[in-house]
Amino acid sequence: MNFIPHTKEHISKMLSVVGCSTLDELVSEFKPRLSELKLDEPLSEMDLVSYMTSISEKNSSMKYFTGGGSYDHYIPSVINHLVSRGEFLTSYTPYQPEASQGVLQVLYEFQSFICLLTGMDVSNASLYDGASALAEAALLSSAHTKRKGIFVDDGLNPNYLKVLQTYCDGTELSITNSIDENTACVISQTPDFFGNIKNPQRLIEKAHKNKALFINCISDATSLAILKTPGEFGADIVVGEGQSFGIPKSFGGPYLGYIAVKEFLTKKLPGRIVGITTDEKGNEGFVLTLQAREQFIRRERATSNITTNQTLLALTATIYLALLGKSGLQNVARASYHRAHILQEKLKKRGFELINTNPFYNEFLVKSPKSTEKIIADLMECNILGGIDLGDNKLLISCTEKNSLQDIDLYISTVST
Amino acid sequence: MKLIFNYNQANTKYTSQEKDVDLPDDLKRKSLPLCNVNEVQIIRHYTELSRKNYGIDTNFYPLGSCTMKYNPRVNEDIAKLPGFANIHPHTPASHAQGALEVIWELEEILKEITGMDAFSLQPAAGSQSELLGVMIAKKYFAEKNEERTKIIIPDSAHGTNPATAAMCKFQTVTIPTDKRGNMDIDEFKKAIGRDVAVVMITNPNTLGLYEENLSEIKNIAKENGALMYCDGANMNALLGISKPADQGFDMIHLNLHKTFSTPHGGGGPGGGSLGVKSFLEDYLPVPRIKKENGKFTFDSKNKKSVGKLHSFYGNFGIIVRALTYIKSWGVDIQKISQIAVLNANYLFCLLKEDFDVPYDRRCAHEFVISAKKFGEKSTINIAKRITDYGFHAPTIYFPLIVKEALMIEPTETESKETLDEYAKVLKTIIKELKEEPELVKNAPHTTPGRLDEVKAARQLNLRWMPKEP
Repeated sequence: MNFIPHTKEHISKMLSVVGCSTLDELVSEFKPRLSELKLDEPLSEMDLVSYMTSISEKNSSMKYFTGGGSYDHYIPSVINHLVSRGEFLTSYTPYQPEASQGVLQVLYEFQSFICLLTGMDVSNASLYDGASALAEAALLSSAHTKRKGIFVDDGLNPNYLKVLQTYCDGTELSITNSIDENTACVISQTPDFFGNIKNPQRLIEKAHKNKALFINCISDATSLAILKTPGEFGADIVVGEGQSFGIPKSFGGPYLGYIAVKEFLTKKLPGRIVGITTDEKGNEGFVLTLQAREQFIRRERATSNITTNQTLLALTATIYLALLGKSGLQNVARASYHRAHILQEKLKKRGFELINTNPFYNEFLVKSPKSTEKIIADLMECNILGGIDLGDNKLLISCTEKNSLQDIDLYISTVST
Repeated sequence: MKLIFNYNQANTKYTSQEKDVDLPDDLKRKSLPLCNVNEVQIIRHYTELSRKNYGIDTNFYPLGSCTMKYNPRVNEDIAKLPGFANIHPHTPASHAQGALEVIWELEEILKEITGMDAFSLQPAAGSQSELLGVMIAKKYFAEKNEERTKIIIPDSAHGTNPATAAMCKFQTVTIPTDKRGNMDIDEFKKAIGRDVAVVMITNPNTLGLYEENLSEIKNIAKENGALMYCDGANMNALLGISKPADQGFDMIHLNLHKTFSTPHGGGGPGGGSLGVKSFLEDYLPVPRIKKENGKFTFDSKNKKSVGKLHSFYGNFGIIVRALTYIKSWGVDIQKISQIAVLNANYLFCLLKEDFDVPYDRRCAHEFVISAKKFGEKSTINIAKRITDYGFHAPTIYFPLIVKEALMIEPTETESKETLDEYAKVLKTIIKELKEEPELVKNAPHTTPGRLDEVKAARQLNLRWMPKEP
């Protein structure tokens, strides 16, 4: 396969303009490699498809009762058709706004959707994923408060905690176990890793009493359709993972980190932000704005080193939210909630003790009467990924609208034998 | 301008049949201010928006430093195979052997291309790869009990390099560029010392020039115990020709979305990666992927690791596309770079009589010219005027060290014909600048016209607001 349009004649004509006789001579200034290049022979498109398909078939696609930061929601057909349009797919960061009004408007709509869902004032145009969005929020808090302590409430996704720890180590922040005058932010996840829906009121008051910022992290973004918004509760920053909004699970990425803040933090936001302005004639249009925060202008004084974001996935989420609308999104959230509660009720009758003490959304933790290892293996036999084994016979189970009542019955009958 | 929020409420197939949830009032949402829009309207709305956008598919898009090459469609098909797109990241390794194999194989291939000993594909983009590299350097020296507070970066570098150094609380020492476009070796010698942790070099640099003093820089850096880091954003010049590890680099990051053709998607998702020499391997993020007796496993045991960088294992979908692309080239991969360099030099030769040339050397995969002889702001005017001719502008005003800079990277997938047309358009615009300057100064002659960015930053309008009920 070859994506080079040049004929031999073109190449020799161009070489003569450049003043070289061969392609090798053209790159002779580059220090040649000292060892052989051990790569396979090139594959034709047909062979490539068959090679890659055979690798893909070594993965087992299953019915998922598993969340933990990635949720198996239904993806409407329209999304793929629109997102695959080359005008979106093959464009880049809209540095020339006049040639990028489409992507810019999409990002403006995305920012608006995130604000509407979270109850916050301002959103950026996306970050890499939920975990790095949380880490960026911690860095933002430290820059705003000039403090270095990060307090983390129980129930944070352990992967996010690990990423946060990595960022803290690298940037000289520390995760502490008290809230005091050194605390830059208080981080709490709700629904948390175990599905618990928490009322953050008291923690927010405590954070603010100590002049720290409160960061609300969210697990499954569809929960925003039915839960009181973090903005209403008084959170200063909201972060999370937008994968639930039409993005394939794809073994964990690429996903969609989002971050939204209260107005007073606007100029501290990392990443791209889109705004509306006008041309000389007064026509409205979209541009990247507040760029003075960014690395390509500010260099070592930038708010963050972020350059690329997840625009195509922000587009995906925007179309998803537009398509489902108010009633569709509510339906997804309610169905996910109800399926999880039906499964939990049925499991309870079979001796699986519910560990959650709070109300839960679509994810819950049970203590199994028998080895979770065996349960997971048995379910796998029925092509079901039955949850996340947290050790000590604890199983974290998740449902979405895709888990049918028949699948729930199959789950129950499998774990009952 | 009609936003998705401005459509009238319509009938939709996504209705709410589920009964309300049973939650206490203090936890429940009272209203959800989204509207219901019909699928047909949505298709038209976003199709219309796509038509207001330039992409590689619609226009030549020679953004310097971004490697806007053709994105093969077969890569998209492969990434969407159910065995890749549907796999849940919590699937045990035993049932995700194909996914682990993809990551493992791309790591192996990137080792071969760069000469490095180990790779991590966990970083989500180039800037996160840099962050990982600097974190590794920080931890490495901390464990050796060496206090090193500085990172040396040439003034031609991408802004991410100093921004990353600052994030990790290093002091940036900026080295000027010499007359040939290299990092000034004398200034470098003055700056280097035992307090320097990393020498961060982009090669070829952002002027599109191969760094000529690399071997001397490497020797001096090593004498002082500093690590050599390569920003590999410009690897599209070197594939199969040169291995950065041979030049003494200890670490390199590659941008999968640039060099390996994954779509830029309007600004992302990108794909990062970091390659290191064996003495730094233990610092790479966990989990690593291991191959033992033909089986792939996750390995999270390493205690020296800097930790974890991504919610899961990196931008897997991008990794699949990059692997597919490289397999299509295989051992012929150097053809990519040869033609990328040919295209850049050809276009450079067509244009260098018309513009100022800050460094008159053979270029690598991109080149920088200056419009300063046409007066201040002529670069932005030219860039806007290019749009009227149906091409995308180059990167402009970067690198910062060249006044009125135009940074042009044609990539290997553009034909001679396209390059000839682009040169012709630029020559026409220069003629217009002399004969009808207003035509260029008021460009683009599209709707909207040139947008007021100062106003955008002063009168912030960053979201749609629902009308108060």
